Amino acid sequence: MRNRIYGIETEYGLLIKDNEFKLDPVEAAIRIKDHIFKTSRLGVLDQHYRANDEPPENGGFLLNAGRIYLDMGHLEYASPECFTLTDLVTYDRAGDTLIQDAVEELGWRDSIGIIKNNVDLETNATFGCHENYLVGRGFPFDERENLKLLSAFLVTRQIYCGAGRIGACNPHPFRDWEGNFVEEAEANVDFQISQRADHIPNEFYRWVQYNRSIVNTRDEPLADPSKYRRIHLLVGDSNMSEFATAMKMGTTTLMLELMEQDIANPDWILAESVETMRAISRDQEFKWELVLRNGRHTTALELQIDMMQTARKHLAGMNRETDWIIHEWDSVLNDLSKGPEALIGRVDWATKYWMLSEFRKEENLDWHDPWLKSLDLEYHNINKNSGLYWSLEGTGEAVRKTNDGAIEYAKTIPPRGTRADGRGELVKTLVDVNSESLYLIDWIGFRFGRNEAPFLMLDPFISYKEEIRNYLQNMEKHGGQESTPYKGTY
Amino acid sequence: MVMNDPLRREEKKDPTPDRKESGPSSPNVERPGRDDILKRMKRVDPKQSENYKQRTGQ
Repeated sequence: MRNRIYGIETEYGLLIKDNEFKLDPVEAAIRIKDHIFKTSRLGVLDQHYRANDEPPENGGFLLNAGRIYLDMGHLEYASPECFTLTDLVTYDRAGDTLIQDAVEELGWRDSIGIIKNNVDLETNATFGCHENYLVGRGFPFDERENLKLLSAFLVTRQIYCGAGRIGACNPHPFRDWEGNFVEEAEANVDFQISQRADHIPNEFYRWVQYNRSIVNTRDEPLADPSKYRRIHLLVGDSNMSEFATAMKMGTTTLMLELMEQDIANPDWILAESVETMRAISRDQEFKWELVLRNGRHTTALELQIDMMQTARKHLAGMNRETDWIIHEWDSVLNDLSKGPEALIGRVDWATKYWMLSEFRKEENLDWHDPWLKSLDLEYHNINKNSGLYWSLEGTGEAVRKTNDGAIEYAKTIPPRGTRADGRGELVKTLVDVNSESLYLIDWIGFRFGRNEAPFLMLDPFISYKEEIRNYLQNMEKHGGQESTPYKGTY
Repeated sequence: MVMNDPLRREEKKDPTPDRKESGPSSPNVERPGRDDILKRMKRVDPKQSENYKQRTGQ
């Protein structure tokens, strides 16, 4: 499977830990972003309006070709385009590290916590982790049967991809001005396996806030639209586990492959998706029962086993990455039947469940004790000195997909094999020049000066590195008001 | 990737778990890092969740 490019976007939460801290979370997020670009000079800030709520300097592209920016008050990191799962996990972790480095350089290590989760357990505000998969324009994404197949997969993958949370939140379905709306009674849920399941009220929809859907149908390829489509999913949880991140994206790309090859089985389609997703997440006995459209009663585990076995039958041997995904998919599904302890270090919800259960026993706490909510948050703190997840990396129990050396490298060097390589070259040149350069950079290209023709990067599989290097050298050589990247008028 | 998870190696010796069981059981596994994890957990401010105050995002 070498026709895929991966990307992941993470919205971080920001917890003020020190009561004497003078800034609110949004002000702190802005200072962190500015530190990364203006003090550490790890990228270049946008000089243009990307949208009404994204003014100049709201964010920018990094040396590693990803982006850091403010989105609805949250710090957000978008990874560069990655060609392999290992690159994806490495660059996802590089984003965490860039932000935590800034926190520490600002002297805020003990004052704030950057929380890689998706829900405020007090207010039930939610924020996302978006997955991106580049597919060919011919991918059968407009056929409703295929959307339902993808929905069945996404609803059930939470049994190994979910990050888990204390309690529940009743979702607020979309309603018009005149619609009657009756609040559901709050369910009594001690712990559930997904952070996002309670916040997804639709099966298919194109928008991303308030009216989120299991399958987001927005068509914004950020590439040549005649050749490519970008599958953009917002249903998943942010994962602390490298293994879980790799499995979330890896198994999903195999499902897309099955759909593309017309191998996915229509018998996998669920009778109903939204309620099923919530019911699976909230099932206190981890039975994960569901009903298929064909009337058959089964479980999320059984359905995932069938999907995995179909992938193994048809896709095994394509390449090492595919074989790794299938092997680990089989392994994690096998271990799910053994209980949460068998999944520690690989599945976030199970790891968190085990930690909280042990702590409850130790301290004789009820599931509804506020301390458990605070511990739930701390599981997601990206500060290795305090975040609970990191204690597993310390003991070697966390199954890793990359290593610290690669993550350090990925903070400033773009991944190879995609256009990120060329974009990184561009950003590096702009950072090195350190002048009042006038530029406009986006995922699909860049330009200098008001009248300069844009340099388009419409094929994400092409690095454009040499072309960009030559382009920059030519501009410098020929000089001129409109042709130099360093003195033009934008 | 080299896998070092001892649990997974144990699993290979027992390749036929009963997938018909309704839900997982809970094996009594004593984990070596448990005490250190609990120590770290005890250091967490029990009320920090009240200070999170996040906006809804996407």
